[in-house]
Order: sequence, then C-alpha cells, then structure tokens
Amino acid sequence: MIQLIVWYATLLFIILLAVVFGWVAFSSKKKQDYAPIIKRWYKARSIYGVLLVVLMLVVTIYTLRELPFNEPSHVEGVEVIPVHVEAFQFGFELNMTEFSVGDTVEFNVTTKDVTHGFGVYDPDMVLVGQTQAMPEYTNTFYLTFDQPGTYQVLCLEYCGLAHHMMMTEMVVK
Amino acid sequence: MRMEKGKSTIIQQLIIAAMMIILMMGFGVLMLLQQGGVVDFGPAAFYQFLTIHGTGMIGGAVLAATAIMWYFLNKYVKLSLSVLKLNIVLFVLGVVMIIVGVFAFEFSGSWTFLYPLPAISSGAWGTAGALTYLIGLQLVGLGLLIVLLDAGRAIIQKYGSLGKGLGWDVITGKKREQDAPPAAVVASTMVVIVDTAALLSGTIVIFMNIIHVINPAFTFDPLLAKNLTFAFGHILANSTIYMAVIAVYEILSRSTGRPWKSNKAFLIAWTMSTLFTMIVYPHHLLQDTVMPTWALIVGQVLSFANGLPVLVITAYGALMIVYKSGIKWRMGSSLIFLSMFGWTAGVIPAILDSAIMVNHVMHNTKWVPGHFHMYMGLGVIAMLFGFMYYLVQNDQSIRPNQLDRFAFCLYTLSILGVSFSFLTSGAISTPRKFATHFEQWQAPAIFGGVSGIFLMIAIGIFIIYFIRYMVNRNKDFSVEKEIA
Repeated sequence: MIQLIVWYATLLFIILLAVVFGWVAFSSKKKQDYAPIIKRWYKARSIYGVLLVVLMLVVTIYTLRELPFNEPSHVEGVEVIPVHVEAFQFGFELNMTEFSVGDTVEFNVTTKDVTHGFGVYDPDMVLVGQTQAMPEYTNTFYLTFDQPGTYQVLCLEYCGLAHHMMMTEMVVK
Repeated sequence: MRMEKGKSTIIQQLIIAAMMIILMMGFGVLMLLQQGGVVDFGPAAFYQFLTIHGTGMIGGAVLAATAIMWYFLNKYVKLSLSVLKLNIVLFVLGVVMIIVGVFAFEFSGSWTFLYPLPAISSGAWGTAGALTYLIGLQLVGLGLLIVLLDAGRAIIQKYGSLGKGLGWDVITGKKREQDAPPAAVVASTMVVIVDTAALLSGTIVIFMNIIHVINPAFTFDPLLAKNLTFAFGHILANSTIYMAVIAVYEILSRSTGRPWKSNKAFLIAWTMSTLFTMIVYPHHLLQDTVMPTWALIVGQVLSFANGLPVLVITAYGALMIVYKSGIKWRMGSSLIFLSMFGWTAGVIPAILDSAIMVNHVMHNTKWVPGHFHMYMGLGVIAMLFGFMYYLVQNDQSIRPNQLDRFAFCLYTLSILGVSFSFLTSGAISTPRKFATHFEQWQAPAIFGGVSGIFLMIAIGIFIIYFIRYMVNRNKDFSVEKEIA
C-alpha cells in the first residue's frame, strides 16, 4: 500500500516537473527583458516556497505519528510476542516461526558475524517490515500479521557471496 | 593558438572519467541482465561487478566533477595546476589498485564495505584483496583531498575565510549583495567544507577496517563504523552534484546572456546545503533502531529540508534564467538544462524514501538505486557531458551534428528507462544487490538492462565526439609547430 502511494506520488511529481521544464524550454524561443521576469517570478517563488514548506510539514507530521520501532498504539493491553532473531552468513535463527493472524510481534534482531538485513515479505511478496542485523547490537521493530500464509524473510543488507540465498520462512495461520 | 592554462589537463581528466563511466555502465548492464535471467555468470562475478560498478561510478563522477569545479573556480582564484595533475596520478594509481583488488584478489565487499565485512568474507576473498581495495580507495580520496585543500587555500587567500567564501558577510549585511562572491566560489567553498569532512570520516573508517583486516583481534564499534561509512559515502556522492552544478550557473548564464547573481536567498540556500549535506546521512540508518530516536527523526526532517535549496533556488533559478531568454540551444546548454531536470526529478523519490515509515518498506529495495540513477545519471552525467560540449564548442573545427542530437534524445530516454526500471522494481519490493531475482522481479531488470545498452550507445557517441576533437586538436598543434 505504502509502496503504491509512493510510486504514484513520484510519478505525478516527475511528470509535473517534466511539464514545467518542457514549457520553459518551449518558451525560451521568445526573448524578453530579464528584469520584469525576475520581479514577477521572484514573487511566485515566495508562494511556491511557502507551499512546499507547508506540504513538507504536513507530510512530516503525518508520517511521524507512529514509528515502526515503537510499540504500536493499537496493541495497548494486548500481549506482544517477542521473537529473537540471530542472523549469520548465510541464514537466520528464529526462536519462533509460527503465528496466528492478528498477532503483533516484537522482532529483536542481531547477528553473529557481519551486518545483515531482516526483511519480512507477506504471502504476496510485498515487503511489510525490516530492520538491520548489526553485530553487538539488537535492533527492534514491531509487525502485526494481518493475513494468513507463508511469510518470507530475506536478507536486505549485502553480506557476501550467498547474500541473495539467505532466507527463511514464517507461517501465519 | 594555445589552449588556456589547464584546459588540456581538464579535458584529459574528463575523458578518463567518461571512459570509466561507460565501462561501469557495461558492468551495470551485465548485472541487470543477470538479475533478469538473460545471462548467468554466477554470483561471485556479479558481486565483483557490483563492487567495481559502485566504486567506479562514484570515482568517475568525482573526477569529472572535480574537473568542472577546478575549471570555473580557477577563473576567480589562483589554483595550482600541479595539484590537479597530482590528483590524476593518485586517482589512476588508486583505480589500478581497486581493479587488482576486485578482479585479481576477488574482493567483492561492495563500495560501502560495511564493517566487519572486509575481514569476514566467508572464504570469498582474503586479506590481500581487502587491503588492495581499501588502500586504493584511500589513494583516490587522498588525491581529492589535496585538490580540496588547494581550493580552500585559494578561496581563503582571496576572500579572507571559508565563511566569506559562502557569503556570510553578505548574509549578515556587512557587505553589499553586489560584492558577494560568484556562484562558482560559493559552491566550491561548500564542497571544500563538506568533502573534507567526508574524507576525514572515510579515512578513519578505512584505516580501522585495514587494521581489522590485518589483525582481527582489533575491533571497533560497528555502529560508529556504520555512521562513519555513510557520512563518507553519502556526502561524497552528493557533493559531486554540488561541484558539477557550477557548470549550470556558468553555462546557462553565458548561453542566455543573463547574470546568475549570488543574492541573499542564494547564499542562504548554499549555507543550508552545506549544513544539511553533512548531517542528513542518518537517513541511511533509519532501520538501525539502536540509533537515538532523535537522530533518526532529524534524519527524516533534514532530508526533507535538504530538498528545499535545490527545488526553490537552484532549479527555479535555472528555469527563470532560461524562460523567454531567446537562448540558442546547443549541445552544452541542452545537456545542462536537462541535468537540472534530472537532479530535481531524482530528489523526489529520495525525499519520499527518507520518511521513516516509507523507508521501513523501501530501504534496500531497488527504489534506492532508482533515485540515485536518476540523480547521478540524469543529473551529474548530463552536467559532465554538457560541460564537455561547452568546453570545446568555441575553438574547434568539428561541430556537433545530427548524430550528437540523436545521442541527446537517446541518452534522455534510456537513462529514464534505467531509472524507472529500478523505481518499478523498488515499488514491487525487489531487493537491491541480489545476484538473482525471483521470476516476478525479472521483467523490470530486463527492461533496465536493455535501456542500459541504449544508454551506452548514447554515451559512446558523446565520447567519440571528444576523441575526434582531441585528434583534430593534436593535428592542429602539429601543423602550428611545423609552421613555427
């Protein structure tokens, strides 16, 4: 869902940019004094600048409401399942791999050797959450399983020649 | 007829960079075709290509951007040509070591070489490979550092301090706007500051890795190492566009006959860029939850803010200066104008991905190379070739022809093809840096690989133009010598 929104937003803004650049390139054939252009378009820039700042502020506030590494607000009073994950070249050890739909899991992720990624893919192979597995540290994030099926775990940080084969599975019933 | 001082060195430097870039594109195409299931040369070769592609592209971009900065800054302050030449020597030496490290000793730790990967390869490469690669990288950095120090020296000598080079005395009202330093000086000052910080971080982390490779009993903090690595990599990669954008200010201004003045808004924007470029790198660590939460939030907020100077000042300025200017479009100015589109377009997916909740499901997918292939491929590379065409347009017998114009269109479409193939892959959750892909991820990779082949053809045409120019130039010099 997030990926789709970001994809369309990117496409929209890039097309908008292309139209503006194309329009300016097309209008460059005409010649006009620069002074009135500066006066007029500096005014427009102020409005454009303010709008951009406001847009960024709105997006910032909206996107910072809930962070994936904080316990989600909807699980207050509900038991969160802690899962310990240890990555190594080239696999994962999880102390629990079977869950039920609706379970909220706290993944505590570390590694025995080099830095790895811990990326969770839903049954449709959409990335639904991730963190880094770093030596000497434990990174944490929360995930609520909202559909049944087999979830794949892929390494998302380059860790050596078998990086692309470093994966495991979790089953949600 | 004599070339202006340093121009021939600059052209040589640009040609080395351009040759490197097209070669690295070749590795990029091979990787995409392997991911698409079209060819299969095995994971070991894939990750060697990955390492050389990333290192070579950044190295080539840095070399080209340094040439652009040096060329224009030298018009305002007195720079040392010997230092520039020494940089090329160190660069070539470093690149040779990197090539030996990657292909002879099979080092494939990627150009981001996250500690402790260089020392723990699971048998893929040994001490010699890691050391040759890391020392080679350090030599390239050393070359850049001496150019920066020379630039900093020259700016301080003429303007009094780096702060004055950024126009702080104009911002604070101590000096009039019309006496502000030119755009090329302001941008160069910013680059001197941020790149020196980047190279300092890089040197520390490279040396720590070198010691760890030699003696694994010596360890250091992985989180600190990661911070230093991304401070180095992020700032260095970003600074290439801040060096190369000097070509935009100078070339668009000359091509339109309109001044690109350093006014207060412009100077404030560059001070913002100086600060933000150095401190936004934590957006590379948004999935390291052990980082202080405030640092991650600051990483997001400042990444958003970092888009403002380019979106509101530089790109807007480029549009204004071209608007109804009666400009006669030539290859140089066309590429330069296109580069501003590439830069701003590349900023959009980057800004969106720096939101923590977005990054949580897009970090280390192919969305990330999607943004920087647009930013670097359609931004920095367009600036590089725009500058090359501009540099020779007034003193040569070979005029760009229909083939060059065809190459311009082919370049634009094909780099967009490459970038959008990555973005599409990222949107469907395809991981980056994977030697093979599941079947459902292969189609965009094949599209990207084919686009990359067309991109190489376009870049090849650009390069052939300069090789023809150099050959003609040498002939002219021979004739001049005979007449003399």
